[in-house]
Amino acid sequence: MMKKFSLVEFSVERPKLIVVLTIIITLAFMTQFPKMRTDTNPKNMLPATSDVRVGNDDVEKTFGLYEDMIVLGIVNDKGVLNRDTLGKVQRITDAILGIKGVAARDVNSFPTITNVTAEAGTLKVAPLMTQLPQSEEEIKALRKMLLENPLFINRIISKDEKTTAIYVPLEKGANGKEIADKIREIIKKEKGDEKYYVAGDPVARDTFGAEMFKLMALFAPIAGAIMLLVRYLMFRDFFLSITLMMDAMISIVWSMGLLIGLGFPIHIMSSMAPVFLMAIATDSMHIFNEFYFRYRETKNKKQAIIETMHAVSRPVRYTALATAAGFAVLLFMNIIPVKVFGGLVAFGTIVLRVLSFSFIPAMFTFVKDEKIEQIAHAEDIGSSRTSQLLKTLAGLGIHKPKTTVIAGLLLFAIAILGISKTVVNNNMVEWFKKDSDIRTADTVINKSLGGTSLGYVVAISNEENFIKTPEAMSYIESLQRHLEKIPVVGKTTSVVDYVKRINRVLHDDNPQFDKVPETKEMIGQYLFLFSMSAKPSDLDNVVDYPFKKANIWVQLKTWDAQAMKDVVKAVEDYKKAHPVSMDFKPAGIAYFNLVWNHEVLWDMVKGLILALIAVFVILAVYFRSIKWALVGYTPLLFTVSLIYGVIGFTGKDFDMPISVMSCLSLGMAVDFAIHFVGRLRQRLAEMQGKESLAEAMLWTAARPGKGIMRNAVLFAASFAVMMFAPLTPYITVGAFIVSMMMLSAIMTIIYVPALITLTQGWLFKGGLK
Amino acid sequence: MTADEVMKKSQAAFLYQGKDFKARVMMKLISSGGQERVREMAMLRKNYGAPGGEQKYFMYFFQPADVKDMTFMVYKYPGRDADRWLFVPAINMVRRIAAKDKSSSFVGSDFTYEDVSGRNIVDDTHTIVKEEKFVGKDCYVIKSVPKAADMDYSYKQSWIDKSDFLPLKEEYYDRRGGLYKVFTADEIKAVKGFQTITKRTMKNLSSGHRTEVSYSKTDYNIGIDDSLFSERFLKQPPKKWTE
Repeated sequence: MMKKFSLVEFSVERPKLIVVLTIIITLAFMTQFPKMRTDTNPKNMLPATSDVRVGNDDVEKTFGLYEDMIVLGIVNDKGVLNRDTLGKVQRITDAILGIKGVAARDVNSFPTITNVTAEAGTLKVAPLMTQLPQSEEEIKALRKMLLENPLFINRIISKDEKTTAIYVPLEKGANGKEIADKIREIIKKEKGDEKYYVAGDPVARDTFGAEMFKLMALFAPIAGAIMLLVRYLMFRDFFLSITLMMDAMISIVWSMGLLIGLGFPIHIMSSMAPVFLMAIATDSMHIFNEFYFRYRETKNKKQAIIETMHAVSRPVRYTALATAAGFAVLLFMNIIPVKVFGGLVAFGTIVLRVLSFSFIPAMFTFVKDEKIEQIAHAEDIGSSRTSQLLKTLAGLGIHKPKTTVIAGLLLFAIAILGISKTVVNNNMVEWFKKDSDIRTADTVINKSLGGTSLGYVVAISNEENFIKTPEAMSYIESLQRHLEKIPVVGKTTSVVDYVKRINRVLHDDNPQFDKVPETKEMIGQYLFLFSMSAKPSDLDNVVDYPFKKANIWVQLKTWDAQAMKDVVKAVEDYKKAHPVSMDFKPAGIAYFNLVWNHEVLWDMVKGLILALIAVFVILAVYFRSIKWALVGYTPLLFTVSLIYGVIGFTGKDFDMPISVMSCLSLGMAVDFAIHFVGRLRQRLAEMQGKESLAEAMLWTAARPGKGIMRNAVLFAASFAVMMFAPLTPYITVGAFIVSMMMLSAIMTIIYVPALITLTQGWLFKGGLK
Repeated sequence: MTADEVMKKSQAAFLYQGKDFKARVMMKLISSGGQERVREMAMLRKNYGAPGGEQKYFMYFFQPADVKDMTFMVYKYPGRDADRWLFVPAINMVRRIAAKDKSSSFVGSDFTYEDVSGRNIVDDTHTIVKEEKFVGKDCYVIKSVPKAADMDYSYKQSWIDKSDFLPLKEEYYDRRGGLYKVFTADEIKAVKGFQTITKRTMKNLSSGHRTEVSYSKTDYNIGIDDSLFSERFLKQPPKKWTE
């Protein structure tokens, strides 16, 4: 404590030196900025060595698959099987094949997809539409080919013939948004009634990545400007308002500079750090608040600064500690970007506090006395309207403590019910608004075709050529039918579908032969026959070279992690009921999302619980009393429960943005209680019984309470702008912060006094401490 | 010598040597991950007319094991798609197969049918880009641009040995102008006085997949009878050709 005091005094004595030092250090951190690297791919939250990524890479290599695929849906309400629309499909496909980053050889669409047919005794393996149909008859023939072939239905043609799709696989490392933009340019050139929809995970992911940085660059300054304005309205001093802003900016520069300097890329999570630090910086509001009150009393600037720091240093240090702890627990998690994020914000929080004890007091000395006098005049708890209102609020708790506590408990119980309904899920497409292009595209395509999300189920046998046995074939076929019973499964495709198709076609298109052949030789020869003229990838995508493994494609109609979970479970159940000498392993982007969801989000849930404990311990240490810690803990517990209760009730997923917010919420929601209870106990000690408990509480509500209210309003105002963002995670963050600040402020002002009044016998047993 | 003349000589040297030809062909299809598939067959070829004219092919498969006894016959015509018949032993049936010569893969390999049996010279515009040494041999470098736009590649560049007119390397460029497929002649031997490519590789650079082909038991002018190329022998190939 002594050391901190000397830092404040030193800063007041040598303000210029402190300011110059601060600027030099800030510039030093700034030199790191040009080295900035960004990584917006949420995939990289799991390291390349994680089981799921290694497993997926392996499956992709074995079956020659692509990590990412864009789906272009083309809809014509009059049906797509007409010369005009087909011509467009042909032109667009052709243009897409020319885009860099597109795996051209495996683009599937009318002109490129392999079609196996029998014509006048000749087996024909060729792309479905090598040239545009010239007559009504040719269109009729095309329609027949499409609708009779189960490999095409719900894949490249909807049952109602109104929708077709072009599947565009991407080369490794290609940017989904850039390719999607080029596809959009291509379709812009086409006129007519057709509607076009660009969908797929890479589009959502890379669009989000790009948009996120744009929004950060837009909203962080807006939030900053609003903070500046609100501060100015509160203190009527531009210089001090700027000082407060600088406090936040300096800590942002230091922590981002450190992050970049250490060679970490700025990740989707750490990109939110500046906004968080700006939020945390508002805590210095309490210093300002107290300073004006003190100045009014002492009329001596330096004296007032030192006294202020003396009064608020403990709460300010402990609120910082609680906030830092809320983030620092993330350092113990498994996911590296989560750790980096936690460390980054914890570091920034500490920087903020160091600045509060050096830079801010130093800056105070530059403000002219008359100016302070003028502002301080307004800071009278007797005349200030805010203070009066706060007193009334606190009085509510003090005079009707039972009602208040019971009402709170009721709310709490309802909130717990809501929390029990929480769904841990991350659906990137839903990060876009309902009426956004990306989300509409996904909805439209999922409604008419098999689905934009893709998972794989790999059947694995120990025996070479086992997949060619009728036993394996029939098993895979029944498993497919079983999976298709899951409502979100739109379509499944496997090697069995090709074998059945060839069987039928070889037998003069007789539908009776649309089944698995009787012998292994037949299956082997059919597959060979198919490989004699089809694209190599057709077979490679569904069986491995030694025919030990078969890959079942499962198209899903939603990006929810739950969908793939259902698939995995259905496979397990089926195998249990029908034992077989094959193993089944899930893979693909849908499976990756499932694992990501589980690893990253549950890691965050774990962090949240750990942080809850850490914050309680800090409270107990700060108050040196478990009882008081419990009292101080209630506003936090209520705020967090109410917010998560509402999230649970509204059915909003506990997704990445929410999980990131959870850390912030703990550290911030406890702040007000720390200030309130801390200052109340200080006051009680200072007055030594000259004032009743109720009076002391009213004083606390009116004076430090004003700081709390200012802090909350400032915070809420600047983050409210986020609610106008076009991406839902920002809306979520905005709404979350606003409600968190308001709730925890109100909880602190009303509920804590009520609780103290009600339990005073127990709390003060054995004196004040 | 004009580019067209070089290509004509090359076609004759590469695909039309002798009256007829036989070889035991071993194809290894190798994925980017190193997985292998094997195709082994006896291949017989007979010319009908001058280089660039009609040819008939007869193939008998040894491997993969489950297609043993499968046979395949091709009548190749200049200027139009070939006729093909396949005998499927498991159902004891001969079926005609239609496929696009230009783009269909030959038995799942990186070679298309056209890569195996040759492309019509008049289908492309040929120009001599330069003359240079390649693997120590003097070569013509010929650029061939397809006249029709229905090809997977936009142009092909071939290194043709000036002494024996065999293609030593071919590079295929896609429509974005990127190199994506490379053919190399890896071993050349004289068989009955005919220079013959006995080892070759086709590598697809974009998929990382490649196919290695080696010829053994090669021979020319062995007197293949016309009757071999019939449905009867497709079902029951003569022993002497399938050993």
